[in-house]
Amino acid sequence: MQATQIIHAYKQAPWRVQRQYVGAFLLTVVVLALVAALYLDVTSRTALAGREIQELRAEIAALQRSNADLETELANITSSAVMQRRALELGYRPVQPGELDYVFVPGYVAPEPPLLLAAADSPLYQQTLPDEYSQSLLEWLDEWLHSGGGLP
Amino acid sequence: MRQQYAIRSLVVMAGMLMMAIAVIVQIVRIQNSEQAKIFLANGDLYASEFRTFYPERGEIYDRNGHLLAGNRTVYEVGVSLPDMKDVDAMAYVLSVYLNMTEEEIKDKLLNSPETWTYIMIQDYVDAGTVAALQQVIKQLEDAGDDRLNGLGFKPHFQRSYPEKSLAANVLGFVARDGRGYFGVEEKYNDLLAGNPVQMWVPRDPNKALDIPKVPNGTTLVLTLHRDLQAKVEGILDEALLEYGAKNGAIIVMDPKTGEILAMASTPRIDLNNYLDYFQVFDNGSAYNRSIGMAYEAGSVVKILTMAAALDSGIVTPETTYIDTGAITVGGITIQNWNRQPWGQRNMTECLQYSLNVCLAWVASQMGSPTFYSYMDRFGLGHRTGVDLADEAVGRLKVPGDADWYPVDLGTNAFGQGVTVTPLQMMMAATAIANDGQMVTPHVLYAMLRDGHQYNVPSQYAGSPIKPETARILNEMLAVSLQNESASALLPGYRVAGKTGTAQIPTPQGYDPNHTNVSFIGWGPVDDPQFMIYVWLQEPTTSIWSSETAAPVFSRVAEQTVIALNIPPDLVRLQYGSR
Repeated sequence: MQATQIIHAYKQAPWRVQRQYVGAFLLTVVVLALVAALYLDVTSRTALAGREIQELRAEIAALQRSNADLETELANITSSAVMQRRALELGYRPVQPGELDYVFVPGYVAPEPPLLLAAADSPLYQQTLPDEYSQSLLEWLDEWLHSGGGLP
Repeated sequence: MRQQYAIRSLVVMAGMLMMAIAVIVQIVRIQNSEQAKIFLANGDLYASEFRTFYPERGEIYDRNGHLLAGNRTVYEVGVSLPDMKDVDAMAYVLSVYLNMTEEEIKDKLLNSPETWTYIMIQDYVDAGTVAALQQVIKQLEDAGDDRLNGLGFKPHFQRSYPEKSLAANVLGFVARDGRGYFGVEEKYNDLLAGNPVQMWVPRDPNKALDIPKVPNGTTLVLTLHRDLQAKVEGILDEALLEYGAKNGAIIVMDPKTGEILAMASTPRIDLNNYLDYFQVFDNGSAYNRSIGMAYEAGSVVKILTMAAALDSGIVTPETTYIDTGAITVGGITIQNWNRQPWGQRNMTECLQYSLNVCLAWVASQMGSPTFYSYMDRFGLGHRTGVDLADEAVGRLKVPGDADWYPVDLGTNAFGQGVTVTPLQMMMAATAIANDGQMVTPHVLYAMLRDGHQYNVPSQYAGSPIKPETARILNEMLAVSLQNESASALLPGYRVAGKTGTAQIPTPQGYDPNHTNVSFIGWGPVDDPQFMIYVWLQEPTTSIWSSETAAPVFSRVAEQTVIALNIPPDLVRLQYGSR
């Protein structure tokens, strides 16, 4: 009888136990909801960024086509035949060898064919995509620790 | 009371648990059902699409940065069948703009395989037509009319040639299969086209980075000088009319580097209408006669014979030969072009009067081994290695060949029985103009890729003769030209060169009435900066090179010195001495 009373003295009231269970359950639910919300947020931001990349790539392709079209059009209107015709219309005529005067310029070097360097292709996504989209949690943690624990 | 609540709670909990279990069981059951597998497979199908990424074909420029071959946008017009609302309206509108009948379009739209969801109506539609169609679609949409739903346009590149037929024989063209044909387009097709990438492209924006970035094809800069090319083509076209020739070719090259500055050939086509090729040409070798057609060039080969004889020490410029008008080689009598004796002549005069008998004697003095050894070193019977597609090899019969006869030694010496392309002759002659060093002709000046320019260095192709021999022959050819072919001379500039008039071989023997006339020349003699080859096929106003090809050389040389800013000898030497 005495022993039973002692055990009873150390046992929590049932409502307290239930409250603890409910609390733990609710805490789990809240944590899961938070993780889910974070995951959803990151996923949606990633999707938006991905969509933006797709749109930008489409825009780049359209601009490249436009660029090629304009370049070809410019070449069309400055072609040899067109320029000759325009020159004749403006009153010019082909030069004759006897009409040329050559002037000696000390140190002059005849021009070489020009350099027609095309712009280098830049790795666009590496410059514009934030680390958050390509970093794992461990990588972020590592970087955070190495940076002194401040806000990244 | 509390016990009652507990029981109710348990009942509710049990009910919810049952529902949760039921939901989970249902989820597991659905996800593992047969239908789910089909659904997943379909999902995968729509999750990505198989696409080929074609890089933009590299452009082609002349040496001064003028665009010779570029790209322009054209469209594939197609219809998405699930979205199509009105076949009749679609067929009518497209027939108005696409030069197709309504029946043709309806046939495509209605008789496509059941599994197809997209039908291509017409490809390579120009931007103007597509803009007009887009305007119609917009007007209908604004009016709430959806009868053109499903009509779509896919842009892609098509090759474009702003200069139209200029340098057409050098450039070649790109057909709709995306492959280059002839000339630079064929020779450098792999470089220009780049590497297409085929892959399944995810539609999932989370996988946007999986889409490859396909680098463009390599851009090429040619050695061609656009304005000189235009002048040379004009001169060639005029020459064909003036001399009644069937066809012709002219090449202008830098003899020191092998850079081809202009290369004209007839006929030519507007490369934007490359399908004309089938109406204009009956065989591919005529596309660029400068490299594709080997012919008996006649007396221009004499310069190689004389080079070999001088270099091997058989003769000197002062060596004399008494020309009786005929010589027997291998049992066959060889005569001069006018069938007359020319008496005692030195070697310069043999070239000056283009004496077949004299050159046959020179070759016979050398003997077959020496003569053919030199011809081989000059590259006869071998391709030059020029970076253009479809180069012909020519034919040099040598002792031991089944069809070689001893008389060939005599006839080959003055250019009969040996076939060469104009460019082969030029390459051989660079040894004479370039102090004994022969250079490989080329049209590629530089390549542009990934922001870097890679210049193409000149390639030397051996030294068939000694520098001293080259200088002596250079002088001999300048003197002989000055004395004999006045029509080839260029006032103010000293040039060297040689005419060539060759009868045309037929199955019945040589045609006495038709000739191929050629001229090879270079200048200024003391510092050659240009070399020109002229070939006119079967001129009718005169059969002689000195009256046809030689004046054409002079005209081309005149334009060349203007285009290249080469001052007259007097000015150049005067300033050079300062």
